[in-house]
Amino acid sequence: MNSYVELQTSSHFSFLRGASSCDDLFAQAAACGLTALGIADRNTLAGIVRAHEAAKATGVRLIVGCRLDLADGPSILVYPTDRAAYSRLCRLLSLGKKRAGKAKCHLEWPDVVAHSEGQVAVLIPDLADDECAFRLRRMRDCFGDRAYMALTLRRRPNEQLRLHELSNLATQMRVATVVTNDVLFDIPDRRMLQDVVTCIRHNVTIDELGERRERHADRYIKRPEEMHRLFGRYPEALARTVQIADRCRFSLDELAYQYPEERDDPRLTPQQSLEQLTWEGAASRYPEGVPESVVATIKHELALIETMQYAPYFLTVNSIVRFARSREILCQGRGSAANSAVCYVLGITSIDPSRNDLLFERFVSQERAEPPDIDVDFEHERREIVMQWIFETYGRDRAALCSTVIRYRAKGALRDVGKALGLPEDLLSTLNAQISSWSENGVEQRHLDELRLNLEDRRLRLTLDLARQLMGAPRHLSQHPGGFVLTHDRLDDLVPIEPAAMIDRQVIEWDKDDIEALKFMKVDVLALGMLTCMKRGLDLLAEHKDINLDLATIPSEDPRTYAMIRKADTLGTFQIESRAQMSMLPRLKPRTFYDLVVQVAIVRPGPIQGNMVHPYLRRREGSEPVEYPTPALERVLGKTLGVPLFQEQAMRVAIECAGFTPGEADMLRKSMATFKHTGGVSRFKDKLINGMVANGYAPEFAEQTFNQLEGFGSYGFPESHAASFALIAYASSWLKCWHPDVFCAALLNSQPMGFYAPAQIIRDAQQHGVEIRPVCANASHWDSTLEPTGREGQLAVRLGLRLIKGLSNAHAAKLVMARARHPFETVDDLWQRANVPIAALTQIAEADAFRPCFGLARREALWALRGLRDEPLPLFVAASADRTSLIPELEEPTVQLRPMPEGGEVVQDYRHLSLTLRAHPISFLRHELRRAGMITCLEAMESRNRRWVEVAGVVLVRQRPGSAKGVMFITIEDESGIANLVVWPKVFEQNRRTILASGLLAVRGRVQREGEVVHLVVQRAEDISSQLATISRREQGHAFVSKRTVEPAGIRFAARDFR
Amino acid sequence: MPAAKALALIPGLLTDDANAVADAKELERLALWILQRTSPIVAVDAPDGIVIDSTGADHLHGGEQAMLEGIVGRLAMSGVTARAVVADTWGAAHALARCGTTATFIAPAGEGPRLLRRLPLEALRVTPTLAAKLRPMGFETIGDLLDQPRAPLTLRFGPEIALRIDQALGNVPEPIVPIRSPDVVETRRSFAEPIGAAETIAKYVGKLVVDLCERLEARGLGARRLDLLCQRVDSHTQAIRVGMATPVRDPKRLTRLLCDKVETIDPGFGIEVMTLAATIAEPTDRKQIASSLIEETATDVSDLIDVLTNRVGNKAVYRLAPVASDLPERSVCRVPAMSPETGGSWPAHWPRPARLLQSPEPVETMALLPDQPPVTFTWRGVRRRVRCADGPERVFGEWWKRDAEAISVRDYFRVEDEAGERFWLYRAGDGENAATGSHRWFLHGIFG
Repeated sequence: MNSYVELQTSSHFSFLRGASSCDDLFAQAAACGLTALGIADRNTLAGIVRAHEAAKATGVRLIVGCRLDLADGPSILVYPTDRAAYSRLCRLLSLGKKRAGKAKCHLEWPDVVAHSEGQVAVLIPDLADDECAFRLRRMRDCFGDRAYMALTLRRRPNEQLRLHELSNLATQMRVATVVTNDVLFDIPDRRMLQDVVTCIRHNVTIDELGERRERHADRYIKRPEEMHRLFGRYPEALARTVQIADRCRFSLDELAYQYPEERDDPRLTPQQSLEQLTWEGAASRYPEGVPESVVATIKHELALIETMQYAPYFLTVNSIVRFARSREILCQGRGSAANSAVCYVLGITSIDPSRNDLLFERFVSQERAEPPDIDVDFEHERREIVMQWIFETYGRDRAALCSTVIRYRAKGALRDVGKALGLPEDLLSTLNAQISSWSENGVEQRHLDELRLNLEDRRLRLTLDLARQLMGAPRHLSQHPGGFVLTHDRLDDLVPIEPAAMIDRQVIEWDKDDIEALKFMKVDVLALGMLTCMKRGLDLLAEHKDINLDLATIPSEDPRTYAMIRKADTLGTFQIESRAQMSMLPRLKPRTFYDLVVQVAIVRPGPIQGNMVHPYLRRREGSEPVEYPTPALERVLGKTLGVPLFQEQAMRVAIECAGFTPGEADMLRKSMATFKHTGGVSRFKDKLINGMVANGYAPEFAEQTFNQLEGFGSYGFPESHAASFALIAYASSWLKCWHPDVFCAALLNSQPMGFYAPAQIIRDAQQHGVEIRPVCANASHWDSTLEPTGREGQLAVRLGLRLIKGLSNAHAAKLVMARARHPFETVDDLWQRANVPIAALTQIAEADAFRPCFGLARREALWALRGLRDEPLPLFVAASADRTSLIPELEEPTVQLRPMPEGGEVVQDYRHLSLTLRAHPISFLRHELRRAGMITCLEAMESRNRRWVEVAGVVLVRQRPGSAKGVMFITIEDESGIANLVVWPKVFEQNRRTILASGLLAVRGRVQREGEVVHLVVQRAEDISSQLATISRREQGHAFVSKRTVEPAGIRFAARDFR
Repeated sequence: MPAAKALALIPGLLTDDANAVADAKELERLALWILQRTSPIVAVDAPDGIVIDSTGADHLHGGEQAMLEGIVGRLAMSGVTARAVVADTWGAAHALARCGTTATFIAPAGEGPRLLRRLPLEALRVTPTLAAKLRPMGFETIGDLLDQPRAPLTLRFGPEIALRIDQALGNVPEPIVPIRSPDVVETRRSFAEPIGAAETIAKYVGKLVVDLCERLEARGLGARRLDLLCQRVDSHTQAIRVGMATPVRDPKRLTRLLCDKVETIDPGFGIEVMTLAATIAEPTDRKQIASSLIEETATDVSDLIDVLTNRVGNKAVYRLAPVASDLPERSVCRVPAMSPETGGSWPAHWPRPARLLQSPEPVETMALLPDQPPVTFTWRGVRRRVRCADGPERVFGEWWKRDAEAISVRDYFRVEDEAGERFWLYRAGDGENAATGSHRWFLHGIFG
């Protein structure tokens, strides 16, 4: 019988060596009639879970292996025979990685010897020389009868002789030979791609590659018969492949995961501890008594937790959250298990189950033994404290971060392949500018047409073709932002660990999909900027207004807050601040918390592409009847008026209406969650539609339902996530509504985050009646602070020194320290006492921070500073010390500085603070704009429907969402407010250059009102950025008289582009 | 704006990289051109100007206005747009030329300060960084600076401003260091009686070479190229040119190289003047001759190469160098005879034939597919029986070079016939897939 097992296969997790994915390799192995395939990537097990999954799908058995490239000599292949040997291999790799640092591995022969027990090892020889004999002897001594030597046909001169000599030598040294094929790709056609990745690895072009090209031929998977023909002289060596496969029976299924132990009281079982903590927590959450319904829910949940034995998981999350609370780090849980009553009373989330009737059906699914999923968001600036605590508490050998496989996307693939094929850099950047990095098709014909590129060019065509093949291949491993794997036993028994680029962090070789496939527990410790902002806001509230609140105690269901939200007055708040969200708010008209949950979930690419938004809105307005074809559907979709908006609902629809098993529904969910998976949701189409029709639904309805569900393929939100986000959105809106001053200061101190720049945040606060005070050398701290105004309950925001571009925190701190006893009197005084470099003082002066305290205009302050040196002269310091007043170092004739025009001050404000408290830059141009027939943005937004208007403004945001079919949304701003522009694809193409390059845009368009939402549909656009350059020479209210001179630098407004 | 963005905005935009070195070189060439025509004192005013001291030269061109118009007009004809200004000082002329509106302008004597007042301060030849510091202070024109007391300005911005103002106003002198044209090392000889006989020409060539070599030595140069120009009595010029692989100033060698070509000179009715110029000369290092007791000296073959090259042409003398390519015919390339070693080598452990045929020759064979060596083959009408063979060595086409090579494969075999002769054969194609080649056999090389 022609039996053969391929043992030496490199997947593309041998980064930039292997050219095929595990899926492809196993599919090809199955097609060739192999019964098992050994994956041996270089110094890594990163691809082994993917291979495990592929093996399960194809029925070809996986032989877990690894190729060790030793620093002091040969390469050997090792295959663990059992679980213990696998653990030893993991430890060996962890050791090598720890020694060599990130993405490298340094192992030597003695390390292998120390971990050799239970491994089958195969030496990869080159020539049958003394060196080889020595290595064979070492193999024999170390591995005994588990030592083998590989015979591989290279298709080079004297090959048969080489194999013959090797075989003889092995016999002489009493080491068995085994045939391998050293596979690098699944099918012969992949050879070109393999050459290209070799180029990328060596960072050379294909023309320079020369002998570094992989020189041994035929590295694809061959049929057993072919192997038998090629190695007809070595039948025993062929038979030993099967023998090794039989010896190596280890499977990843044997890896049993154990939760880390959490015991405050060792006498209690985890379940008992959890119950105790839960009831304690419930008592403190509900001081006036736990409501009956909550007691019932908690009991139900605890019972479920006991059945599933999830108590340790909840305890772990609880201790992380408890630690964060002890350090007063704000956090908020989300994820399927997070919005349970247990999590609420433990303080993991702040969504009160007694007040909000959420669907908790997917709390933990009993059908699938899958670990629950809780993600916890922390303040982004202090998350590192929590992470280090986890490492220390659970031990660095028991806790590590997941990795993230960085894969080639369209852009990266094109750049690297282009470089390898020697295309010029600027051609590549031009091509790259045309495609979005998420594009799944790479460069398309229309991109080339647009650039007038010639596809006849061979290299260009090859590049595009190979780049498409390379897309999706892993490039390297990176660390997951916060996904922790915690175990009870040593983690390096389960998976190799490597040190991360950041010190004091370590990363396992597998990513979160791998972890999920093996059913390990993962806790996501994520960073959320808005939590930092909320923490700062609540602290300020306690300090200045004596109001002590946290996320759970913020007054809920406050009508004034909802009124504000309905007006879309939500700039700066969480989630509901984006342009799309804002335009939806007046239509959705949220009145309760659940409305906000819907709002957060509905403005996502998923529901938008699934066409769920408009039906939902119509039903909410009552203009379309809410009807359910069956009671089953009503149970699932009742809360969302018959329109599926959440992932859980999609799953329930599949189960209830189409007869999916929970397991299948879970597959559906997975394919919806990550679009990277090939095939998407589409392969479930037939099953879903047929299932629904069989259950008595109309085929059209079934089709429509499927299309809706398919929309989730891009992005859908689970209800529990939406609820957690909605809570933060509500809390931030509440703060903005009742305490705009506090909110503004907190938001400024948490920058950069969110959609809006400080300039817009400050403008918005001013419109809400908050007094904003300029940066001042005598009054500002590093952060923006609150100052009393004299009016009851209203505070003024004093802008902080952190807004000054380029100023370091250390210098600002020195300055604040120096003025603690008494404020500075003059620039000289400040310079002598603060002991801050002149460069830092100059930055402060450029930001005009000396005007409020010393009455010095920007220019005068800079002039004074220019005359100073970094160190005061000691003689003068000594002289000054004796007196109460300061002796200036020199007296000089006064210099008459030309005062800066008002426009110039504005330009300088923008340049050094990115904002101004003076007039809006556009106001200086208003005279000319009026003459040109343009109205202000406010006037335009208040115009009647379908009126033609012309407006001009600074471009704040350009957005071209993938879900909007080429429509571009632009927000422009002038001194009166903002205007929302809509550009249809045709107009966009005509005005492409203007729209993409303008800082200051003048447009003509037609007003379109839909209820309270007003858009300006652009018909023509003009770039008038050049006018910005003249602002710095203008005075307010005067027409500009052009002087022929060197043009002063204008303002550069960095518009923020979003997709 | 980055070039790629400009390209995206304007499709089909032609772009060219800035080349500061070449610009400076061209500017210097332009200065030399003006030196020859306008005035003996000319200097480059980098990066974009030329300064001319026209004192005493303007009347040669019909006055200042005519001189300026002449310069600008001539430059315009050669495609250079220029502005020319006459002023009292270098500084003033520099400023007015860059900020003026007319192509030519003559500043009346003594009017400098008044005219300068309104110009932007960059015109004062202050560094851009200094100008960037002055502007935020509200200093925009030269006049703004002239009005201020000097001491506070110097304290804050250093002495540069005062110096530049004084230079522009003529308070301190600013001499112009004129450029000189780089001269060609040459020597000439005129004859009282025209010469014609080849021996006579050769004799004088020898004398000229000795003279030239002395001049070269005085400058530490060696000639890479010599041009010998012979002016005949009928005003025709005959020329011969020789090139050297390395800089040479050995009279014997140069004489021999030139005399090899004397035959090509047609003296006509006689030669009056002979000029020998080293049109390309490069510095030579003086090197101590190593004693043969200490070390072997490498044999210098550059002399031989020069002789051969000058006789048979530049392309005909070359060396072979390895190229890292699996295709045998691409694994060699020609390099100039004296070029340094590339450092590459052919794989020593893979036997390659001593002789590679210019192009593979088709042979008739009997062979088993897919990968057996031929049993017999017929080359150039001789049928040979294969006694032993090794192979195949599988060589893939270089797919990035041509479409035809995308999947092409050659299987090379080393075979020995019954007479003990060894040949290098290949089959186009891998023996299985017809797309990889025609599956015909070729002989590509001969061992031994």
